[in-house]
Amino acid sequence: MKYMTINLDDIKNILSRVEKPARYTGGEYGGIKSPENAPFYFCMAFPDLYEVGMSNLGIKIVAESFLRRGYGADYCFAPYTDFGDAIKEAGVPLYSLSLKKPLKEFDMIGFSVQFELCYTNILYMLDLAGIPLRRADRAGGAFPLIAIGGPCTVNPEPLADFVDLVFIGDGESADADVAALYVECGGATEEFFRRAAEIDGVYVPALMDVKYDKEGRICSFESDFTPRRAVIGDLDGAVFPETQPVPNCESVFDRSIIEVMRGCYRGCRFCQAGFIYRPVRQRSVETLTKQACSLIASTGYDEVSLNSLSTGDYPRLRELIGSLKASLPCGVTLALPSLRVDSFDSDFAQDARKISLTFAPEAGSQRLRDVINKDITEDEILSAAESAFDIGYSAVKLYFMLGLPTETDDDLRAIRRIVDLIKSAYGRKPRAKSLRVSVSVSTFIPKPFTPFQWERQASGDEVEAKQRVLRDCLYVKGVTLSWSDYFTSRLEGVFARGDRKLSRVLERAYALGCRFDGWNRELKKEAWAQAFEDCGVNPDIYTRERGEDELLPWDFIDTGMKKSFFARERHRAYEGRVTGSCRRACAGCGLQDICPAAKGER
Amino acid sequence: MIAFRYTKTDGAEYISHLDLLRHIYRTLRRAGIPVNYSLGFHRHPRIFLNNPLGTGIKSLAEYATLDTPFEGEFGELFNAHSPEGIRCVRWGYVKDNQNYANSIVKCTYRARGIPPFDIGELLRRESIVITDTRGREVDIRPRIYAVERQGDELQFTLGCGEDNLRPDLFCAYLYSVYGGEAADIIKINSIMSGDQFR
Repeated sequence: MKYMTINLDDIKNILSRVEKPARYTGGEYGGIKSPENAPFYFCMAFPDLYEVGMSNLGIKIVAESFLRRGYGADYCFAPYTDFGDAIKEAGVPLYSLSLKKPLKEFDMIGFSVQFELCYTNILYMLDLAGIPLRRADRAGGAFPLIAIGGPCTVNPEPLADFVDLVFIGDGESADADVAALYVECGGATEEFFRRAAEIDGVYVPALMDVKYDKEGRICSFESDFTPRRAVIGDLDGAVFPETQPVPNCESVFDRSIIEVMRGCYRGCRFCQAGFIYRPVRQRSVETLTKQACSLIASTGYDEVSLNSLSTGDYPRLRELIGSLKASLPCGVTLALPSLRVDSFDSDFAQDARKISLTFAPEAGSQRLRDVINKDITEDEILSAAESAFDIGYSAVKLYFMLGLPTETDDDLRAIRRIVDLIKSAYGRKPRAKSLRVSVSVSTFIPKPFTPFQWERQASGDEVEAKQRVLRDCLYVKGVTLSWSDYFTSRLEGVFARGDRKLSRVLERAYALGCRFDGWNRELKKEAWAQAFEDCGVNPDIYTRERGEDELLPWDFIDTGMKKSFFARERHRAYEGRVTGSCRRACAGCGLQDICPAAKGER
Repeated sequence: MIAFRYTKTDGAEYISHLDLLRHIYRTLRRAGIPVNYSLGFHRHPRIFLNNPLGTGIKSLAEYATLDTPFEGEFGELFNAHSPEGIRCVRWGYVKDNQNYANSIVKCTYRARGIPPFDIGELLRRESIVITDTRGREVDIRPRIYAVERQGDELQFTLGCGEDNLRPDLFCAYLYSVYGGEAADIIKINSIMSGDQFR
């Protein structure tokens, strides 16, 4: 068997002159250990830096699912530009972290696609690995299968021409099922692809043709297969890596992470994650306690983060915290990163360092919060803030969006009212420090598989005008305002609702030097503008309002939720009607048969 | 308190000083070796390391002192839980912080790849001025204590701490004058002023 590996001493000259070389050396404590001569080797690739990827729990779950079946698995992260350019110049292929094996020599490379602005980094990593970018250019060659998975793959079409396989939905089993099939079929044969396309959670772009009408709109999807989102039924018994690598250099979230629940009951109409991870599935207090103890013992971390989209909605949170406190070694702190204001309880926040607390009202006025189904009231925001102040917090971070459907300048000015009320709540009692409020306003981006998937994304002029309104009304002492860059939001919006025609733009943008587009200092706006122009693609086509009778680029995927449900929710939004949490009443999204909440389970 | 000597090899040489401190702390936590904390407002575990080693330079002679009530087979336990390349090679109980950041005054290194040259001539020079990594001109001659050849390896002792000289800078100077290219620079010994634990 060919088995070339990279020796670190051979690239010493490169490692010695780049920033944070420990990103590229492997050898992490608790690092991944593959069996020798495994029948299949999987490289879990992450198109962002080591310290971002190492904080991601999903990729560790997927890698573990391969190891449990006796396959080899390893990680690879996007090297920063200094290292990437240096290995390319030196002719050293991109290699995996632990095995130090060139990516080209794996059987499958799976990219975890967390957000749209990392698409060029997928091309960057393939290029560094010496693998042709387009599927068509790999035909007949001895290249690994190129796959993508993760939240963005609910609309994989902008990447469809680059990849062999798309994993949609939960990654616990479909990915490794494909490996078993590959071994059985003796490689990437036609039979392999046809049988893979029948697995829940797998989409094979080569087996689908997209037809467009004269105006360039999609008129049909031609395929024998309907890709279905993979949904695991039993989260409690699902694959979970109870030891995890401890990164060599400080990562973004340098702590142990347990996943309390998957999915969210709330159904905020702008939030893609709130829909594509449905139905809500929970882990038991017992399992979570066991996983947390195992992680703390095997990593040496002193913090456990209780992750989910809304941890405050976990019905046994108090019981869980009690169990963790009783079982974990003393000195281990708990972090609850996703508490909603209406579930904020000062008991829960006691453990965290009392520096700054983040609330996400998302919209300033009650009217607009009703439109987006963000089911919280001003009183709830204020009482959460007050109880936080009473236990010692002196800084609040508030997240809002601008450019939401039906939004007016009055809705934006209502943000000022919330800030004023929070300030007066703080001033009601004598406090040691002065209050700091930071208001962070991002631009609303319509996403597939949400009730707002048809909405028009606000234009640059509109966003600029809205930002001006905010700047004028939030010029207050002790308040800092920040907002997101419009260009970035627009690019994200274009690719989020894009189709196959965008693959040429991506390829062109990468050729013009675009990579790490999510990093402000790396984003090359002129190059992107040129890429769209060179390919004759008008990005406005993708940010326009879509007709409800139109075929959307992602309509061929069966996520289990009905398009009519999203349309119904959209119309309720326009009527300002709140739908509320799935726990209060089932809104009939289409997943009732497999939804514990719909069956009345708690 | 426990003082120990440890390695930084097998890839661990690329771990930065701050991250190294985190790794040692986590190794101790995994091993179940308790660490006493400072008593200030920002409490931190009382682990004291010697001066930072340049990233990419291997070492067999790093030192640390640890404030701990632990009594037991420290070295074995540490090594069972430490990352690759960070291995305790010797340890002992000490009365107080050995303050290796100050007490280590010289370090001996080995490197390959530098062709034979007239060592006597180099050491007879009164000053050797080079440009350091920050672009400043420095006279490194007072910081060179010994240079000798051992087979195809060059062994040299340079100042550490206040009159520190990075071994890679020294080697870069050598090959700018004598050609060749230094490979495998490794610290093999740290020479300290006090000697409670060696």
